[in-house]
Amino acid sequence: MRVSFPHMGNSYIPLSALLSNLGAEVVLPPRPTSRTIDLGALHAPEFVCLPFKVNLGDNLRALEMGADTLAMVSGMWACRFGYYGRVQHQILRDAGFTFDSILLGRDDLGSVFRKFRNTADGNLAAAWLRAFRVFRRKAAAVDAIEREARAKRPLERDRGATSNALEAGLSQVHRARDTREVDTSLAEGLEALRSVETDERDEPPLQVTVLGEIFAVLEPSLNFDIERTLGESGVATHPVLSVYRWLMRPLKMDLGITLDELRARRATRPYIAYVLGGEEHQTISGTINAARKGHDGVIHLYPFTCMPENICRTVLPRIEEEYGIPVLNICLDEHASPTGVSTRLEAFIDLMRQRRKSAGGRSTSLERSPG
Amino acid sequence: MVKVGVPRALSYYRYFPMWKTMLEGMGAQVVVSEPTGRVLLEEGVRHCLDDICVPVKLFFGHALSLKDKADAIFVSRVVSVEKGDSDTYTCPKLIGLPDMVKGSLDGLPPMLEFVMDVQNRSLKASVKSLAATLGVPPSSAKNAFESSLEVQARYESELLRGLAPGAAMSKVLPDGNGSRGSEEARDTSFHRDPLSIALVGHDYLVHDSFISHDLPSRLNKLGAKAVLMSEVPDSVIEKETARYPEISWSYEKELLGAASHFLGRPDIDGVMMVIGFACGPDSIIAEIIAREVRRPESPPLTTLVLDEHTGQAGVATRVEAFVELIRRSRNKR
Repeated sequence: MRVSFPHMGNSYIPLSALLSNLGAEVVLPPRPTSRTIDLGALHAPEFVCLPFKVNLGDNLRALEMGADTLAMVSGMWACRFGYYGRVQHQILRDAGFTFDSILLGRDDLGSVFRKFRNTADGNLAAAWLRAFRVFRRKAAAVDAIEREARAKRPLERDRGATSNALEAGLSQVHRARDTREVDTSLAEGLEALRSVETDERDEPPLQVTVLGEIFAVLEPSLNFDIERTLGESGVATHPVLSVYRWLMRPLKMDLGITLDELRARRATRPYIAYVLGGEEHQTISGTINAARKGHDGVIHLYPFTCMPENICRTVLPRIEEEYGIPVLNICLDEHASPTGVSTRLEAFIDLMRQRRKSAGGRSTSLERSPG
Repeated sequence: MVKVGVPRALSYYRYFPMWKTMLEGMGAQVVVSEPTGRVLLEEGVRHCLDDICVPVKLFFGHALSLKDKADAIFVSRVVSVEKGDSDTYTCPKLIGLPDMVKGSLDGLPPMLEFVMDVQNRSLKASVKSLAATLGVPPSSAKNAFESSLEVQARYESELLRGLAPGAAMSKVLPDGNGSRGSEEARDTSFHRDPLSIALVGHDYLVHDSFISHDLPSRLNKLGAKAVLMSEVPDSVIEKETARYPEISWSYEKELLGAASHFLGRPDIDGVMMVIGFACGPDSIIAEIIAREVRRPESPPLTTLVLDEHTGQAGVATRVEAFVELIRRSRNKR
């Protein structure tokens, strides 16, 4: 079985581990590029949201590379994401490809479980258990390394040093074959990041919360690697979403995540009274928390026509005003240009610096961020 | 008497007879916004985010136009409309509508929020809280609710007979919906070769004659009878949708069922899908209809995307071309 799945940030590391421990050969398409997006946009419905197009592009490239099975999560939600797999796979079949589908969430769990009957080594249940352990360990390792890099980058002396160490650490984790190797590669990766040389700064870096639609936040090809861009401009980023969270949330195994979800829903209720099926609660509560933590600003990323995040956008100005924190809204689609985004980021960084300088506090009401 | 303004947009087309009867039964006076016009649309566009679908922009325009005409604005929150085992929703924007209005429109009269969430909350409970806001005793609220359901049932049976919402409203409501003119001129008998073209799309698009450029009567003038999806009974929709994997959006399920029904009906000459630009659910459902529902032997299917910039000439050309194409292929046979 040659199985593939679409990219989202570094989720490919734990997901590849899961599948290869089940005996499947993983076909990993290259990280999304403009070619991926163009390819996807060519075959996708015109005004479907951007992640759909990127995922479809990933699938097309994987099929070109010889994948014979495509995996995707699927479900019945108010957000379109639940229908992605089903429609994408139909589009690909209409385009003449033949492959097997795994729609996690739509296909019943039993049939997904048994799919690997012929590929797994020995007892199927034992293989799943082993695969899941490596999967979970790798997800946590990726999270820890990303976190360390995020803290380090705004302080680094040589631009790019952190990102190089991050890449090296992640690929070590990716190559690890069992939980023990994961642990060693994690320790080494963290050590390499810690030894990145830093500069003394007069003042602490600007603190920015990054939130919005999950794919837009986590996938660097979509958001022009905003985390790196900001970090290398000396701004510390704090995304409210992570690959680890996204993978662990549905499993309900991490009490911290479950509780945080509940807290976020509660904080969102005065602004958006009902569940919309996306990340709206993390966007609203994340903005409020950013203000409470004294962050300098919030960057809200979302794909063009994204339904839940658009509703958030109509609500955010009110929170901006009530809590006195600037929010930069960035809408992404296949036509967004890196120059446009970086100009806006620069302007936003300037605004936050000015704001810090002029008040040394958060109580001043400044004019609203552009966009 | 408190004047309650109801925006002529979104769920208005589906539930206005019920809302009006209910509000009047509670002693309120109901004011409906005027049919969409250029100024109203521009106001809505100005106060709304740019990448939200046009029906929501229209709703904003209608709500704003009621600013000085009403003491309160009625805003519905339609969360779920189907009772059943599986979770169903309408659309995130209908669920978040009051939040969006609250978040972006300033200076509106107080909002009367009415929740329709039949999966989790009875309509009766929503009526009760509405009555409490209006200061109406529960007994008269109960009467108002009962008669509103009765009027709504009559309205829906008129729709099933093939009437457009405007015409059906003037049948069941003593003073109609306050719109000028009737939309009942559907006589194609003068044409020697009348066609039947089914319209599949949200009623708030198809029947807003400004945004759809009068699509039903435009077809009519070309000698094609517009067959509305509201005349397809629920039982047929249920039967049709059972053939496809489940959809959790109730209204999109209707589109899917109606499209499947029309595409398999021998007396339908063509099907037009009417979609609003940036409509989230429709971008998926249109793809499912075009790929899973359409068969080689189905009548022609076309998609008409409407937004606030759609020029009349553009729509006219596409509609004429579609009708002409069907007529030609028919003559060849």
